[in-house]
Amino acid sequence: MISQAGDVAIQESGVVMENVRIARGTYRLRIDLPNIAARILPGQFVMVRIAGRTDPLLARPFALYDTVDEAGTPRAVDIVYLVMGRGTQALSALSGGETLELWGPLGNTFPPELTEDQGRHLLILAGGIGQTPFVALIKELLGLRRYGIHQETGAGRVVNRPRKITVGYGVRSAEFLAGVDDFRATGIDLHITTEDGSAGQRGFVTRVLDEASTTSDPPTAVFACGPEPMLGAVSTLASEKGIPCWVSLETKMACGYGVCFSCVCPVNDVASEQGWDFRRVCIEGPVFPAETISWPNM
Amino acid sequence: MPWTPAARRGGSISIMDLEVSIGRLTLPNPILVASGTFGYAKESAGFVDFSKLGGIVPKTVTWEPRIGNRTPRIVETASGMLNAIGLDNDGIDHFLRVHLPYLRKLPTSIIANVAGRTVEEYAALVTRLNGAEGVDAIELNLSCPNVSCGIDFAINPESTERVISLARRETDKPLLAKLTPNVTSVAPIAQAAAAGGADGLTLINTVVGTAIDWRRRRPILANRIGGLSGPAIKPIALRIVMETAAKVDLPIIGVGGIGSIDDVMEFLVAGATAVQIGTANFYDPGLATRLVDELPGALAAIEENSVRRIIGTLERN
Ligand SMILES: Cc1cc2nc3c(=O)[nH]c(=O)nc-3n(C[C@H](O)[C@H](O)[C@H](O)COP(=O)(O)OP(=O)(O)OC[C@H]3O[C@@H](n4cnc5c(N)ncnc54)[C@H](O)[C@@H]3O)c2cc1C
Ligand SMILES: Cc1cc2nc3c(=O)[nH]c(=O)nc-3n(C[C@H](O)[C@H](O)[C@H](O)COP(=O)(O)O)c2cc1C
Ligand code: FES
Repeated sequence: MISQAGDVAIQESGVVMENVRIARGTYRLRIDLPNIAARILPGQFVMVRIAGRTDPLLARPFALYDTVDEAGTPRAVDIVYLVMGRGTQALSALSGGETLELWGPLGNTFPPELTEDQGRHLLILAGGIGQTPFVALIKELLGLRRYGIHQETGAGRVVNRPRKITVGYGVRSAEFLAGVDDFRATGIDLHITTEDGSAGQRGFVTRVLDEASTTSDPPTAVFACGPEPMLGAVSTLASEKGIPCWVSLETKMACGYGVCFSCVCPVNDVASEQGWDFRRVCIEGPVFPAETISWPNM
Repeated sequence: MPWTPAARRGGSISIMDLEVSIGRLTLPNPILVASGTFGYAKESAGFVDFSKLGGIVPKTVTWEPRIGNRTPRIVETASGMLNAIGLDNDGIDHFLRVHLPYLRKLPTSIIANVAGRTVEEYAALVTRLNGAEGVDAIELNLSCPNVSCGIDFAINPESTERVISLARRETDKPLLAKLTPNVTSVAPIAQAAAAGGADGLTLINTVVGTAIDWRRRRPILANRIGGLSGPAIKPIALRIVMETAAKVDLPIIGVGGIGSIDDVMEFLVAGATAVQIGTANFYDPGLATRLVDELPGALAAIEENSVRRIIGTLERN
């Protein structure tokens, strides 16, 4: 499911153009990165490392937030990150002009070609910083922007436009809400939930799925990204309601391109002795159909 | 008769002579990539120019498929990382059927790496690889610290000699013994590997260690312990290469924390005939090829024109 332009990951140095705080502990980092920007698709990710340091040693994975054009061609990559530990702390200190080392595009994407039945009402559920893959995806699905366009042929991947897209975006409290205007600008229906009730509805984002299913226009497909317990809950709910569901997983990654075998998750596999097998999230994921994951073995 | 691998020679690298030999295995240059840090090569196609590499050591293959350890399998530490992957692999049949057909087409040498649970299993793995086209040499992983069910063969000279001599009977291909640093002294084990008939030594595998989450009072790795790798272990690897080179008359491939051309040169001078790039493939996917490009410049800086002339040229203080 990867476009002609987007299939081989490359390594590229990029200069930081800006690093802007957009919510509590949350920043949007813009990197001058024309080659990766031209190839990457919504749902894919890049590995990011501050060049020349051995501590922290490893690069960190971040989803594509969006690409930025210059004179009609992709020029920069935006990522949006939440400060968690030493790696993201170091990123938050960047002020512009520093050189970063990146590789990508990495991983697969959410399915761009939902069937007509599945596409009647796509519900996107974003938990916390798990919102990052979705703004670009919505733009692509709605035909507002194209990604991974082949330089010579102008060909891109085929997408089926869903008839309706709803987004549920849940955070701990209002100060963590990031990029809300970007979601709203696409024209989709946005439902915010907060655990403390400081914005939108109080509770977990899963309630958006619960409530939407009882309306006259229930969801016909679910895409979700967020913390693992949330994804487990969403998968269970979607399966109870018989709604096809895809989840984007976050696991610890050392390389991001398939050589270290650190990022594995348990996937059902009838051919293997124990009925499941570990698969590399960076290569076979990060997006998986929810029912293919062996949740009890997570 | 000298045994030559199907490798394309790096003729474009100017007048510098980068060629090295590990026993009967001749390599166009001394820069290889280490087992378990390069997958089965396909994943690196966009980052690495395979034709420039001295050789590729794919991930360890075992007789049966192994599911590997639970997660977390890695944790970052100061200038390094701990791993406990647990030899996750699909077994020798799958390797021969799926991975080798890709690997053998690459314009570089392929050194297959195997680990057995018993001496017999090592021998059987070597037998299977001996008949396989496109395997230029075999590296025996005698030292993986993460496989609780297996014996660490390379912690004891007798078992090291036994496993190598049995493997030796099964193949004419160059045989490398990859040893663990987790012993009091590597030299007696290296001598046992030589007595068993190894063509060369790969030094070192990871250094056993752990990391703890004190708030939860738990080890971070699901396996409790793991192997430390990366820049943090370079001094250990360099010391073991230096000491072993002084005592054992076998070519050595140095591995451990290499991340720059200076590191490469240090290992060569310390006595390594070649080096493998490991963890650095994770944090700088294109590094191995760049090091090959930088090697002539490093030789020129000390007014040398051949890698062979600098190997083991360390002076005494
Ligand atoms: C495919 C993918 C896409 C991602 N996209 C984004 C994104 O767009 N924006 C964003 O902010 N984050 C994203 N992440 C998570 C991000 O990579 C981690 O938050 C980051 O690596 C933490 O690094 P650190 O050095 O700051 O924290 P560390 O010091 O490494 O860890 C601090 C804490 O974060 C946890 N952590 C570390 N790595 C991960 C991880 N990979 N996933 C979940 N928790 C982790 C640790 O367990 C620890 O509790 C993504 C992860 C993956 C795998
Ligand atoms: C994630 C990981 C997996 C590894 N897997 C293997 C393996 O399967 N077989 C093996 O012989 N060595 C394995 N190694 C050890 C490396 O080949 C190398 O000996 C060691 O990491 C030291 O080199 P480095 O510091 O350059 O990484 C692995 C190392 C790492 C970090
Ligand atoms: S992160 Fe290295 S294999 Fe997935």
